[in-house]
Amino acid sequence: MNPLPVLAGAAAAWGLAALIALLGGTSRPAVRACCAVSGLGGAAAVAGGVASLLSGDSRVVTAGGSVVVGTLQLQATSLAGVFVALLGLVAVAIAAYVPRYHEPGRATGLYLAVYNLALLASLAVLAAGNVVTFLVAWETMALLCYLLVLRRPRRAEAAAGAFWFLALSEVGFVLIIAAFVILAAKTHTMQLDLIAARARLVTGGWRDTAFLLALAGFGFKAGLVPLHVWLPEAHPVAPADGSAFLSGLVVKLGVYGIALFGFGLLPAGPAWRGVLTMAAGAVTAAIGILYALGERDIKRFLAFSTIENIGIIVTAFGAAMTFWAYGQRLLWAFLLLAGLYHVANHGTYKTLLFLEAGVIEHATGTRDMDRLGGLAHRMPRASVITFVGTLGIAALPPFNGFVSEWLIFQGLFQGFRTGSHLVAILIVLAAATLGLTGGLAIYAFVRGYGIPFLGMPRTRPAAEATEARQPVAGPALLAVACAALAVGAPVVLAVLARAMRTVTGVALRPELLPGNLTVIPAHTKFSGFSPTWLAVFLLAITALPALIYLAGRPRAASRIEPVWDGGIVAFKPRMQYSAMTFSAPTRVTFDALYRPSVSVRRASDDPAGRSGPVHYESQATPVFQRYLYRPVIRAFEWLADVVRPIQSGDVNLYLFYVFAAVLVAYLIAAV
Amino acid sequence: MTDQRAASRSVPETAAELRRAVTRQFGRSLHIRTLDTGSCAACEQEIRLLAAPHYDLHRLGFFFTPAPRHADLLMVTGPMVRAFDIAARKTYEAMPGPKLVVATGACALGGVYQPDAFTHGGVGETLPVDVWIPGCPPSPLALLQGLLVAVGRLAEKVQDLSFIQNGTPR
Amino acid sequence: MTLWFLRGLRRGVVTTRYPARPDASAAALPTPPAFRPEALTRALADRLAAACPSRALARDGDALVFDVGACTACGRCLAEAPGAATSSGEFELAATLPAHLVKRIPLLAGGGAAAPATEGGSP
Repeated sequence: MNPLPVLAGAAAAWGLAALIALLGGTSRPAVRACCAVSGLGGAAAVAGGVASLLSGDSRVVTAGGSVVVGTLQLQATSLAGVFVALLGLVAVAIAAYVPRYHEPGRATGLYLAVYNLALLASLAVLAAGNVVTFLVAWETMALLCYLLVLRRPRRAEAAAGAFWFLALSEVGFVLIIAAFVILAAKTHTMQLDLIAARARLVTGGWRDTAFLLALAGFGFKAGLVPLHVWLPEAHPVAPADGSAFLSGLVVKLGVYGIALFGFGLLPAGPAWRGVLTMAAGAVTAAIGILYALGERDIKRFLAFSTIENIGIIVTAFGAAMTFWAYGQRLLWAFLLLAGLYHVANHGTYKTLLFLEAGVIEHATGTRDMDRLGGLAHRMPRASVITFVGTLGIAALPPFNGFVSEWLIFQGLFQGFRTGSHLVAILIVLAAATLGLTGGLAIYAFVRGYGIPFLGMPRTRPAAEATEARQPVAGPALLAVACAALAVGAPVVLAVLARAMRTVTGVALRPELLPGNLTVIPAHTKFSGFSPTWLAVFLLAITALPALIYLAGRPRAASRIEPVWDGGIVAFKPRMQYSAMTFSAPTRVTFDALYRPSVSVRRASDDPAGRSGPVHYESQATPVFQRYLYRPVIRAFEWLADVVRPIQSGDVNLYLFYVFAAVLVAYLIAAV
Repeated sequence: MTDQRAASRSVPETAAELRRAVTRQFGRSLHIRTLDTGSCAACEQEIRLLAAPHYDLHRLGFFFTPAPRHADLLMVTGPMVRAFDIAARKTYEAMPGPKLVVATGACALGGVYQPDAFTHGGVGETLPVDVWIPGCPPSPLALLQGLLVAVGRLAEKVQDLSFIQNGTPR
Repeated sequence: MTLWFLRGLRRGVVTTRYPARPDASAAALPTPPAFRPEALTRALADRLAAACPSRALARDGDALVFDVGACTACGRCLAEAPGAATSSGEFELAATLPAHLVKRIPLLAGGGAAAPATEGGSP
């Protein structure tokens, strides 16, 4: 099946949805209609994405163009297939979510129009057939996302968050343009598939420079450390579905860009670029989860968790590139597959978690974990759905996060096959770092789920939360998708293996799925496990004792007693862990990273503290902003000051500039 | 009437049978949870010595446990201050049956403190006590004897003692 | 490690054999008093009851009521009436019923009202 018409249909649907929202967004039926059309577009995108995975790269279609933007060309590639399918799934889920989340109004109408156009632009990025299309679509997508984040421009923090997003996006864009310009100039074509075919024309130094520029440029969007600072600023201020779209998809576009350069356009390369990518990914993962543990705001917490997962994906890609450099083509294709599987998984459960964060925010009025608690009783549906997402992101077997992380780990463990001791050690170090982040992720999500949902409500809004009239269909759909990605892992892997054959030319299927629902990491004698049988087994060993108990339990009278609490009079909410105390051990251990600044203020000097309230404040130093960004910003401000005299405002001086420019142009033309 | 007799068929009908049932249940392994209802901690010191090598209650199959859920026997010291009522009740009810209660020390047995606004003066009216161990504090040997009486491995001695001394004073 | 082991073997086991065999330290324990009824006059019984800080002693007509459970073995009654009260040496005092701990000690038959400090006297 040719995916391009299906994707064109999706694009048309989203364009139509944007129009509906623009024209009629103030009324509830119009919002519903817009979402319905948007959801249909999403379904079409899912179909188109899966089709491109299976059927290989489509042909390049010229979609017109103009003198201003050049020729627009589209191509549905296998590499983009996972991302397109994810885009569609996210669009469907958000479409089901929006009607109950946003109040109809002029702001909502504009917002939905911008959102649907952003979906369209993202699809265009993924389906771009040449450099110009890619760049135009990319910048459009970035500007539209800026408007998404800036939904309520009059709030100061919204403006700051959106500004960080835009500023870093633009810096990354400059680097991406530079990378593409190098490729286009060296291969004398703008078409992406032709660039890939002529990749050997891009010689050593240029090739590596182009890759590094792309890694940095797309790294800004993906959220690689230290280019990630916009993520925790932008996510909390965007509305929940905006944050879900950002984390679920937009950062994946950065990942797509890295994969495009690393596997599509410039597959050949030295080992050090793979090691560098892998190291960047591992550091990103560790730092991401460490900062996540210091956050009380649910959305900032989830934003840092996104950074962690992006790190995992980029580590897999880096290791894949390293394996290619040593001739291990099976592992090269395998780790690319594992990374793409993690893209799909993370997109699914992160979107789910952000949508549920929005539900919590609407039900309780706060995003602060330390003001919540006991929501599992008040909001049972939301708590079950969030739990499914939490199990996925914590990578607990047999859920989908576990499957993709297992695959990545098994690929990294085979680092010894590279034959180079140094590289093997570096790969092992990356695996160890990912192991650390895996453990910290479980810790972080026990905190992230337990503090708001379990225990007793810490404040009145939490005690009175209700999930009536809260959206549930969208997140529920994503929870089902998480389960499907887990239980249906063999199917997913078969589809991805088919796509890998197109992208890498390696037939992975026999070395991945030897049959009987088992998965092996590219080499038979190394290891193997079956996600499906694991799920069945886990279900059985939990169900079997339960059945034995139910069948054979003594019929004598049993007493139901309250939980043993040490004999206290009553539980009080303040006796519970708070989010910050739960993660205190990590912050103490890693205080070299957090560099907390502590301030304690007392009302008087009474050492016994009887004088009155004591004010305690601890804040992690924003190391990246302080030591990296602020100096760079100050340098640019200094440079601007130095250059300012050129713009003196004197008309005579400007006329002199014109004269000088014309003179220089004549001289050059004459010579 | 028939129902009651039918129901009572599972209940031991004589004291001796009850004693045998208790010994069968607890005789070889007993988990003890101590409860301090406001004592001066001298009883606690003696109880603590039970676990030391000289007295070693483990050789008799007795163990201390902090969790009432795991306990068979509640060893109570102190005069049961009223502020502790809820905690004592909760601890007792958190123990699964069958369970025993041993009141330890003169305070718990009604001596030393008179009942007033702050204390019950003894644990008898708050908890159903099975064995009373006098002493201030009772020595570890007295505690061991009390525990062994509680599980039926030793016969009770005090009801035959008269505390009357005949003949010349020692 | 070996030295500790050998030393332990040489010194023997320190755990008491109680209840299989009597414990040597039992003789040094403070224990509740035992009374000589032939030395207990009514006046003496009243004085003993007043002296007991734990209210373990009381006079009920012609008997001294002794609550063994309330006794703290403080020794004040021994000091008050050395001829009438001595340490009983009994420490195995666990009781299954409170009544088992309440002992009635008959007073001197026909003992006069206020016979002053003639303890240790002949019957």
